[in-house]
Order: sequence, then C-alpha cells, then structure tokens
Amino acid sequence: MNGALKSLASSVGGAVLAIAETIGGAVTLLFRILRALFPPRYDAEGVWRSFYNVGVKSYPIVVMTALFVGAIMVIQTAFYVKKTGATGIIGYGVGFSVFAEIGPILIGLMFSGRVGANNTAELGTMVVTEQVDALRALAIDPLPYLVVPRFLAMLGMLTLLMVLGDLFAIVGAALTAQLLVGFHWRVLVADLLQSRLLDEFTMGLVKAACFGISISCISCYFGLAVRGGATGVGRAVNNSVVSNATAIFVIDFVVGYLYSL
Amino acid sequence: MIEFIDIHKRFGSNVVLDGVSITVDTGQVLYIIGASGAGKSVLVKHLIGLLRPDSGRIILDGEDITWLDEEGFYPIRRKCAMVFQNSTLFDSMTLLENVMLPLRKHHKMGRKEAAKAARAKLELVNMDRDADQYPAAIGDGLRKRVAIARALTLDPQFVIFDEPTTGLDPMAAATVDDLIRSLRSDAGVTCVVVSHDLRSIFTVADRIAMIYKGKIRLDGTPEQFRNSDDGVIHQFVNGLPEGPMSV
Repeated sequence: MNGALKSLASSVGGAVLAIAETIGGAVTLLFRILRALFPPRYDAEGVWRSFYNVGVKSYPIVVMTALFVGAIMVIQTAFYVKKTGATGIIGYGVGFSVFAEIGPILIGLMFSGRVGANNTAELGTMVVTEQVDALRALAIDPLPYLVVPRFLAMLGMLTLLMVLGDLFAIVGAALTAQLLVGFHWRVLVADLLQSRLLDEFTMGLVKAACFGISISCISCYFGLAVRGGATGVGRAVNNSVVSNATAIFVIDFVVGYLYSL
Repeated sequence: MIEFIDIHKRFGSNVVLDGVSITVDTGQVLYIIGASGAGKSVLVKHLIGLLRPDSGRIILDGEDITWLDEEGFYPIRRKCAMVFQNSTLFDSMTLLENVMLPLRKHHKMGRKEAAKAARAKLELVNMDRDADQYPAAIGDGLRKRVAIARALTLDPQFVIFDEPTTGLDPMAAATVDDLIRSLRSDAGVTCVVVSHDLRSIFTVADRIAMIYKGKIRLDGTPEQFRNSDDGVIHQFVNGLPEGPMSV
C-alpha cells in the first residue's frame, strides 16, 4: 500500500514537474523573443519566408476546415430551429459558434497539427544534425534567425487565417443552409449580420493571436530542446502536438471567461 | 595563439577530458589524434563555446574566453571558424546560399555581391559547378568540401577542422590537405585539425597531439610520433589492431 502510494506520488510529481518545465521553457522563450523584437533584431528575409510557409501553405486546410465548421453548425442549429420554429436565431447561432468558439478551436488545432508539428520536427532535426550548432559557430544567433521569424509568422498568419476562416465558414453555412437544410442563404446571412457579433468576432481573433503565440513558443521550445537523434525528434513532435492542443483549450477557456466578465 | 589549460570535461559519469593542456602557436597546423570517442571533437568545440569545460581555462590570443557568455563568443566565432565532422550544411538552402549566409549576415553584402564572393570560395574546393544544388542531392564528401568553403567565407584567423578528409576520395582528401597547407602558408591561418587520416597527419601537420584516456599522451612533431617507442602511439600510428589500445 505504502509502495503503491509512493509510486503514485512519484508519477504525479513527475507529471507536474514535466508540465512546469514545459510552461517555464515556453514562457522563457517568449520573453527572449520579445527581447529580440525591441529593438528589432531578426532576419527579415526569414520572416517573409516563414509568412509564406506558415500562411500561404496553410490556407487550403483552413478554408476546408472553415467550410465544414460552417456547414456542421448550420446542420446542428437547424435541428433546434426547425423543432422550435425560431428561424430568427439561425444566423446568430451559427455566427456565435463559428466566430467565438468552434471556429477558433478547430482552426487552431488544424494549424497546430500542420504548422506546429512541422516546426518542432524541422527545428529538432536541425538540432540533432548540428545545424543549430553550425549557425552558432558562424556567429549567427539562432533565436533571431530561426525562432523570431516563426513567432511573427504564426502570430500574424493565424490571426489573418482566422478572418479568412470566418468568411469561409459563413460560405459553408450559407451553402449548407441553401442546399441541404432548406433555409434560403439570404435569410441566414441577413440574420447573421443583424446579430451584431462584433464582440464574438474580435474574441475569435484574440484567441487566434494567443494560439499563434502559444503554438510558436511551444513548438519552438520542443524543437530546440530535442536530444537523442530521430527518436528524440519523434518524442518532441508528439509532446509538442499534445501540449499545443492542451494550450489551445486552456487559452480558449481563459479568453472566453475574460470576455464574459 | 590558442591555449587549452588543464581542461576537464565529463558527461554524467563519463570523464572525457581529464586535464588536457595544449598550446597552438599562431600560423601552426596542429593535428589532434586519438581513438574514436577519445574527446578530440569535445576539446575543439570548447574553443568556440559550443561546449563549456567543467574546469580549466581557454586563452585565445591572450584573452581568457573560458566563461564568455553566448553573445561574448560571437566575435570569437567570426575569427575562429569550424568545419564540423558531419558538414552541417543547412538543407533548406542551396550550396551557394549556404556559403552566402555568413557573408550576408556579417558583411551586410547584397545578394549579387555575396553570390559572387561565395562562388569564389566554392571554387577553392572545386564545388562552384554544383552551386545551385541542395545538400541532399550531393554526397558526403562533396558536402564536406562545401562546409569548408562556408567556414572560410569570413576569412578567419583560426580554423578548426573536425575530420575534414573522412569520407573523401584520395584526390579530394589531397585537395583539402593542400587547402590547409595554403591557409597556413599564404594567409598565416592557425589550423587545429581533428583527424584519423594518417596520410594527411604526416604530410600536413606541424605538430601532433594525441589524446588517450582523457589526457595528452604525446604532444610533438610528426618525427617524434614516428619514432616513439610508446606502445599506444606505435599502435595508433601504424594502425595496428593488436596493442595496448582496445579496439
């Protein structure tokens, strides 16, 4: 019994320490990034390259996710609207869920899966093949050269992609309403516009910006902390994906709560 | 002048360097030899701050650089280049872009100017024809030649070569040997070369230091190594499978 308790305490303690280490590492990295931004000390070419890799290459997956998010929300809302006859809330229901909750979370998760995991793998591979040491040996600081451009790109592009996602979610919702549910798309869009969802829209963008910051810091932290070859890279990518997904839900809760005050 | 003074380094319980002291005079080519895992690469990485000693001091041109912080090491790294054992080219860049990178970062050169200067460095190692290839498209030996070109872009005063001829064909290895010789004779560059290549060692080295069990076994001229009656030195220099060193 005593042994089992000790083992349990040891496991819990180990898990708490691992979480504290990840949060500490990512937050420390965030402060180092902010220090590199004031005054600006980063690779401008790298920033543009990262914007392209992070943003332009991610928009198809965001558009696809957003179209389905809009479609799913219409189908879910239509069920209750038809049951209660409250046709006036279909636009509000869809808009609220898409702008404030489901849209940011699903787009954030897709982005973290595509960009965050790729980022950890890329940086981790650079670490184990000594490319990061080679940069240091060439007197090039890896932080402004590798990390800051990725941070700016993820922060900027995820926010912009969220706007694009919101737009395509409405398109997905309108198409589904018209083609599958039997509501005229104009009714849905007009109701959505009348619902004045500016707060929900801005909440979604704030969430996207926070997701961008956390995905960049967590994925870069795990990438740069890789030890032990290919196995280490695999482990880091796995930890990065799990930590990013957890962070997305925590941030979504915190921002949602703050907006509700 | 480079001075390693009583360097100790361990990884966990594994003692790699146990009081290593070596001095390299300006313009000299020092070869550091020893069995695989003896700590040769570990020692040279201390010179540019990629590793820090547990104790001991490193003096470069009279300046104690042992405990400089990461930023403090950047000026040191600009005058002391390193060619890594595994080439470490950036695989997202072409060979030309790899060589251009330090020029663009440190000399603030424009793209065209940096490309011209980088091509000249690639010519030194006969790699200018492959300038637009990516590292993954060429072999290990060719990558190593490009890594040498990249290390020389900032015209360093000191160059560390970590096994520069390993994996090269004999002609390419001879080209690298010539390059090291010309760096010394034409530009007065001080070279520290980690190598197992006996042919290179005995044709290029001014001095040789052998690390064995974390300590310097012998620090002397190629002649002293050839004539040594120490069993460990004799076994290594003659490449014998039997002897006091476990293989």
